[in-house]
Amino acid sequence: MFLGIDIGSSSSKAVLLDEEKRVLAEEALNLGTGSNGISQVLEQVYSKTGRTPKDILYSVVTGYGRNVYKGADAQVTEISCHAKGVTHLFGEARTVIDIGGQDAKVIRLDGEGNVADFVMNDKCAAGTGRFLEVMARVLNCDIYRLSDLAAKSLRGTQISSVCTVFAEAEVISQLSLGSKVEDVAKGALQSVAKRVCGQARRIQVAPQVVMTGGVALIPEAVHMVEKELGEEIAVPGSPQTVGALGAALFAWEKYHR
Amino acid sequence: MEEVKKTSKQIMNEMTRDVYVRAAEAKKAGKPVCWATGIAPQELMTTMEIDTVYPENFGAAMGAKHLSGPLIEVAEEQGYSNDICSYARNNFGYVDVKHVDDPVNLPMPDMLLCCGNSCNTVIKWYENLAKEMNIPMLFLDTPYNYMDEGASEHQIRFMEEQVYYMISQLEEITGRKFDYDRFKEVMEISMQTGEWWLKAIGVAKHKPSPISGFDLFNYMGIMVCDRGRPEARDLFKQWYEESMEKVARGEGPWKDQEEKYRILWDGIACWPQLNLTYRTLKKYGINMVASNYPRLWMITYDSPTIASMVRAYSENVGANREIPFELNAYLKDTETYHLDGLIYHSNRSCKPMDFKQYAIRKVVIEKTGLPSVIFDGDQTDPRVFSEAQFETRLQALVELMEKRKEGRKEDE
Amino acid sequence: MSDYRALIQELEAVCSNPAAAVAEEMKRSGRRAIGCVPAYTPDEIIYAAGILPVGLWGGQTDIKLADSLLQNFCCSLIRADLEYGMKGTYQMLTAVVIPNFCDSLKALCKNWPYGDTGIPVLGIAYPQNRIPAAFQYLISEFQFFQERLEKLTGTKVTDEALEGSFGIYEEYRKTCREFVKMVADYPVTLNAKTRHHILKAAYFMDKKIYTEKLRGIIEGLKAQPKEEMEQFKVVLSGILVDAEAYLDILVNNHITVVADDLAQESRQFRTPARAEGTALEKMAQRYMDQRGCSLIYEPEKSRGQMLINMAKDNDADGVIAAQMKFCEAEEYDYPIYRKELQKAGVKLLYVEADQQIEAAGQLENRIQTFVEINR
Repeated sequence: MFLGIDIGSSSSKAVLLDEEKRVLAEEALNLGTGSNGISQVLEQVYSKTGRTPKDILYSVVTGYGRNVYKGADAQVTEISCHAKGVTHLFGEARTVIDIGGQDAKVIRLDGEGNVADFVMNDKCAAGTGRFLEVMARVLNCDIYRLSDLAAKSLRGTQISSVCTVFAEAEVISQLSLGSKVEDVAKGALQSVAKRVCGQARRIQVAPQVVMTGGVALIPEAVHMVEKELGEEIAVPGSPQTVGALGAALFAWEKYHR
Repeated sequence: MEEVKKTSKQIMNEMTRDVYVRAAEAKKAGKPVCWATGIAPQELMTTMEIDTVYPENFGAAMGAKHLSGPLIEVAEEQGYSNDICSYARNNFGYVDVKHVDDPVNLPMPDMLLCCGNSCNTVIKWYENLAKEMNIPMLFLDTPYNYMDEGASEHQIRFMEEQVYYMISQLEEITGRKFDYDRFKEVMEISMQTGEWWLKAIGVAKHKPSPISGFDLFNYMGIMVCDRGRPEARDLFKQWYEESMEKVARGEGPWKDQEEKYRILWDGIACWPQLNLTYRTLKKYGINMVASNYPRLWMITYDSPTIASMVRAYSENVGANREIPFELNAYLKDTETYHLDGLIYHSNRSCKPMDFKQYAIRKVVIEKTGLPSVIFDGDQTDPRVFSEAQFETRLQALVELMEKRKEGRKEDE
Repeated sequence: MSDYRALIQELEAVCSNPAAAVAEEMKRSGRRAIGCVPAYTPDEIIYAAGILPVGLWGGQTDIKLADSLLQNFCCSLIRADLEYGMKGTYQMLTAVVIPNFCDSLKALCKNWPYGDTGIPVLGIAYPQNRIPAAFQYLISEFQFFQERLEKLTGTKVTDEALEGSFGIYEEYRKTCREFVKMVADYPVTLNAKTRHHILKAAYFMDKKIYTEKLRGIIEGLKAQPKEEMEQFKVVLSGILVDAEAYLDILVNNHITVVADDLAQESRQFRTPARAEGTALEKMAQRYMDQRGCSLIYEPEKSRGQMLINMAKDNDADGVIAAQMKFCEAEEYDYPIYRKELQKAGVKLLYVEADQQIEAAGQLENRIQTFVEINR
């Protein structure tokens, strides 16, 4: 049995594979690096499958916490893992857009599970999940409810500031001027879509495009990226655990090499 | 029938457009077109009758017309960092798309003219243009004046040598001889234009000032693009005379608002928010009577000689000088222009104009007690500006200026 | 045979405490010291005046005091220099030399007197435009610098001392060129971190003494068999890569720096002097001959081809563009050489970082991925 672990900035994920690369269990928990999130998630996958750590032939860890976590046989970056995981799920995929808590990245695939090129956001949080969290807080709602709100909007409020702090001030003043909450929600999602597509254009975007990461769970966000990019987007059933799946696939490969 | 005389404002608007029309026609006729940095020795191009356009001026126009955002995005997609000057990003974007949906467009250049007095940024920018388009670049390097006194003799000599070198480049490119008599004439006209420009913007010394500060930003374009032409000189003379008539009539900047406060604006305008910033200032009765940006074009020199000309290009630009150059000018301005306060535009694009604001602000406060505020913005990147922040800072400035006025009244 | 390991340790110790090393050298030789801000300064003249030139390449410091003079979007190396000046770290210096290679350096020159550092500035304006007349100009500028230096310090620089000083510097540069070429053969001993420390130590030492030690390292290593290891070979390009956290990432990923185009490293010594002329003429000519540096105008922009050649000649697996955040000169070069490298099939990674690195997570992600996908 092979284990893939992904310890992100705001969530922990684990995937268990069998010898035939079938997923035995996949779990995600919104507790990131520095917490005990990973041990909780591991407990969940073990209890679900009735196995123990002794059954693991090889394990690979990825994500921000990969250097700190000592229980794995090897560590690989989440960029390589997302590429691997997406290619396993979608053989035709050539582009991955992964928007997580800290990072937004766009990966071009070579078709064989390898990374051909990639871009990431700079230090600034615009265009990441963090930006949406800030916006959700201003709108006093859950990050996932942004989608329902945005769906009701006919026209998104333009959020022109690139900086999250500025954008927050901008949104507050727009609300005070009478902008509707749903329009601001749509504007926030549009802003993220615009940023990430701007990045994407720095490398060549080719179909099929797959979106992963927590933000892929927000249907309206996916829709905005589709519109901005002019490409249809596929979303895996469990977009948050694609990195962990990739890590598990690496574990399988490393064991059989 | 008597012809109605055009106002200086009408003439200014026509001239602003004509720069691009002339260049487009030249291009069509197969004549070479030059792109030049904002404060470059246009005297050479004017002498050689080479139509010259200014991407910085065009960038400002794109900003004011809300067309800069998409151009900037194109440049960023090419790999240009969002950290670099937005005039440059505008221009790199334009070089790629070659057209904007506007009556005014920028014809592609056959040569470049760059002067390093404003910043090293323009040197890198034009170096890239020269490489990407494979066209000749004429370059006046103005060694940074680390001495308060300005340029040393060997630095003047180096700049003179560069002018002769550029002249030889021009002769080679055009196959024509450089006419030194005509050059002298052009230098004389440029000097006169510079003097009338200073006189015209100096009208704002009067209280109230008939010039609403943003006129400075509007007329400035002519100083950038046309200062070697007699039409420009005559325009500023006419503007000066019109303004002085208003002074005689006791007119202020606006018909529907009183001039309550007089401020100095440090830095470039926020072109995409030009209207917004103007309206906000006006709302509080704040008139911008002075600014270091339009003053950058006070390229006035003592005599029509190359030595005198290059000295002006090197020494009259604040960015190429140590802090006391601008600081002393500001301290003088507080008296001459009867200032109530100062606004500093911390402009994400223009590092040379930013990285002296804190020091100047501190000394101005210490020596004059005049209140001031700093706000964040950008000359043409519409994403780097917060309306809420701008207005809050402005309100704070008004409160400080009001308090100071009250304090003065009590003292009297 | 020289004990190269002891020599390496010695140079690494200098790097770990530059202030102490400079103080010690001042005490040993009874000389004063003058700070030299990047990227190029006439160190030979200072050395000939009997003064120790010290490189001021920023460092890992919290930036607090400098925030009162420079906005936070000014490059972190410049802000760090101002911070050290304001907080007294540079107290032992008689003066600082600030050149004019970018707008932020000019800003440092402008703001230094307002930072209450108590240290006078000696400005110098290198030509950007390198037409033939620039050669004579630069010599005049060096002479003007020398006059001001002599006046400020009450010293006299003789032609003889200057010739001697130039010889010492030229030998130093030649030895450095030899050293960086050896790295590929000794990737274990000269890992990315040690290589950097050895090169950086030069900024805090007498160049004559430093060159002897570096020579000892070279000779000592040459007597050893070449080292084998599974490695990823890169060319580093940019201003500098000097944060320990950054260097650790390179070492942990088995990255060997087989060649560099860093302002702090090879750009200082890659251009040899010509044989003819006086010391000042040779100094000026070296500057006129310098190619591929983002800080000096060069309409041909030869950097891209230079990097391609460096990668090919050194059999590198890729080039890392180590972008110093807010360094415009480098930011302008990147889109141009990126295109050229792509066309030539040279793998390129762009990573942006401040000089002061706290959380290196994203940096490590990018670098490790680059290794994973191009190995």
